[in-house]
Amino acid sequence: MAASPSPGAGRIETERLKVAVHGERAAAAATSVKARASNLSFYYGNVQALKNLDIEISDKRVTALIGPSGCGKSTFLRCFNRMHDLTPMTRYEGSIRLFPDDIDLISKDVDPIEVRMRIGMVFQKPNPFPKSIFENVAYGLRVRGMRSKAQIEEHVEKALREAAIWDEVKDRLHTSGLSLSGGQQQRVCIARALATNPEILLFDEPTSALDPIATARIEELITALRGRVTVLIVTHNMQQAARVSDYTAFMYLGELVEFDVTSKLFTNPAKKATEDYITGRYG
Amino acid sequence: MAEPAASLDVAMSSLRLKVLEMGGLVVDQVTTAVHALLDYDREAAELVLARERQINAYDTAIEAAGFELLARRAPVATDLRAVLAMAHVVTDLERVGDEAKRIARFALATMARPGFDPSVAVHRHLRHMAHQSARMLRIAIDALDNSDATAAHDVARMDREIDREFEAALRELLTVAMEGPGQLRGTIDTVFALKSLERIGDHAKNVAERVVFIVSGEDVRYSRPGPGPLS
Repeated sequence: MAASPSPGAGRIETERLKVAVHGERAAAAATSVKARASNLSFYYGNVQALKNLDIEISDKRVTALIGPSGCGKSTFLRCFNRMHDLTPMTRYEGSIRLFPDDIDLISKDVDPIEVRMRIGMVFQKPNPFPKSIFENVAYGLRVRGMRSKAQIEEHVEKALREAAIWDEVKDRLHTSGLSLSGGQQQRVCIARALATNPEILLFDEPTSALDPIATARIEELITALRGRVTVLIVTHNMQQAARVSDYTAFMYLGELVEFDVTSKLFTNPAKKATEDYITGRYG
Repeated sequence: MAEPAASLDVAMSSLRLKVLEMGGLVVDQVTTAVHALLDYDREAAELVLARERQINAYDTAIEAAGFELLARRAPVATDLRAVLAMAHVVTDLERVGDEAKRIARFALATMARPGFDPSVAVHRHLRHMAHQSARMLRIAIDALDNSDATAAHDVARMDREIDREFEAALRELLTVAMEGPGQLRGTIDTVFALKSLERIGDHAKNVAERVVFIVSGEDVRYSRPGPGPLS
């Protein structure tokens, strides 16, 4: 005789299904915070480019920043590694706290060089050094005081593998990085950033200069980095944000309009401004 | 492949318009089929059968338009919900068309069958259920047109009324069947006609639930009776 379901079994199954369906949001809620911007404002001279942003960046997750040109997303990204310090007449207000150390990345007491040691960046256009592929990746390791040749070789290979380019360059590690295609150069730049084991990796429109195949490889790479490093990516490509990120922030005129789990933001945004932008009805 | 639409708005409006046109045709199919059954109108029944092709053509055209919209426009947010929901709405409408066709066939069979027509015993129910199911469909289609999520409440309530009326009609038919077992074929056909109308109510409810999804993003299909949006 077949066993009959115990009372409430159907309800338990339904609850399990609910957990599975909403697992993404639940998992998102469970992640810890890697960085928190609080009341963050940024000024170019008298022009306020960021207006009192409050946002939490989840650890080892991919967060995409989207918004029209001039909305402040790249400005916001560059606050994380103090790139603005190189521009005169700029100033920060508020804080960006990095965890678990709980240090304020934009505090004047924190050395920007120290910040850049811990937070890597990949730019719009691939920018390999005019050196060999090997030296491009080894550079950061040497700056950090690594001297052992064997250790450096090990780290370079690991970084190139993580950047999914090892198989393509392993036989020509000592040729110029500039001899590679655009997509390969960008992956070498990602390997260079990964070699020093950054806590956060910033991507500023990393595929805007690449063809669709090279773009797909970079996107796969970013997806693979999820779970290993915290990624913050600025993109103008809505579908790219939808494909690679766990969270998406929509910015407009220096303000954070909406921030949510990516699947929610792209299927049912809470704000009309977000909907208008992502559906191409903006303006 | 069709020419690219001038804008996403144009493409979305065009898709929605096709669904509304199909909805209008389907409602007319239901009322015409029930008229054929109740008033023994052969011409009306044949009209329903002939128009079935038009419904299928709408089904095919709307699916193709939605498919192309997904491929070429990569819609998101409300647009994405609307494209997906309308694909389901069209399936429901196509099935309503099938039910109307079924009723029209019963009508023709009844007209061809000599002797007493057992459906007369439940004409009152058939007429009322047809009226209610067509009204539900109209409300659901208007809700789609106006992006009105609140209309779904009315449709859900009316669906429960139709379900109750179906049960009542079945009880009456059972009495007829016991009194005159020689009319078994006609009685069975009448049960199927009643069941078709009951199913049309279910499809109308499905359409209304999809409208809620388009407007709010909320999936209310399996919400339990109680404080849920469709209770």
